[in-house]
Amino acid sequence: MYAIGKLAQQADVTPDTVRYYEKEGLLAPTRKTEAGYRLYDSDAVRRLRFIRQAQQCGFSLAEIGELLALKNSDEACCKDVRSVAIGKKLQLEHKIRALQLMSHALGELITSCNDEARPLDACPILAALESSVAKQAKGGRDA
Amino acid sequence: MLKVEVFSSPGCGKCAQARDVLKEVVESLGTDKVSWREVNILEEMDYAVDLGIMASPSIAIDGKLEFTSLPRASTLRAALLRRLE
Repeated sequence: MYAIGKLAQQADVTPDTVRYYEKEGLLAPTRKTEAGYRLYDSDAVRRLRFIRQAQQCGFSLAEIGELLALKNSDEACCKDVRSVAIGKKLQLEHKIRALQLMSHALGELITSCNDEARPLDACPILAALESSVAKQAKGGRDA
Repeated sequence: MLKVEVFSSPGCGKCAQARDVLKEVVESLGTDKVSWREVNILEEMDYAVDLGIMASPSIAIDGKLEFTSLPRASTLRAALLRRLE
């Protein structure tokens, strides 16, 4: 059995992270000592590593909860998990696309600023951002 | 000609069954009027992202995302008939 500190160490997280996962319903101690200390078995270590790995793949804690439920469901099969993974990959691809657009927009702004000696009130990057804020505000009022 | 594209991943038995029913709907409207294409979302991920597809299975009609899950046969039929009018 592991105490919370030891368990956290096994998955390279802090005890606070373990408590947070417990609060979110992703993990539970195997039992508690008479003094109220949490104790965990080796399944908890596997579960904790699973949560970390899934987080690194971009899954939110709510989605990890779904995956864990599927993992423990008698009726679920690997196709269900695959379907969740495909949905997540689609989400990530959309995010990548949005980030590429943002990066492209920043690239254009950087190109437009070719004189580093200009005073701040003549900075084309700040001017472009100001104008986009103004456009959004106007769009919001018009809508 | 209307273009119906079904985005899903191979190996999904549940999708395959429902897809066959929808394919029959499309074919019943005339293959000269409506085309049917099954898109493997894993092979055409970029195209799926272009159309704003966030879930599998999904259906696009004429390059526009229309259903974010497989609709009933009658719903798809109605959506296609509206466009064919």
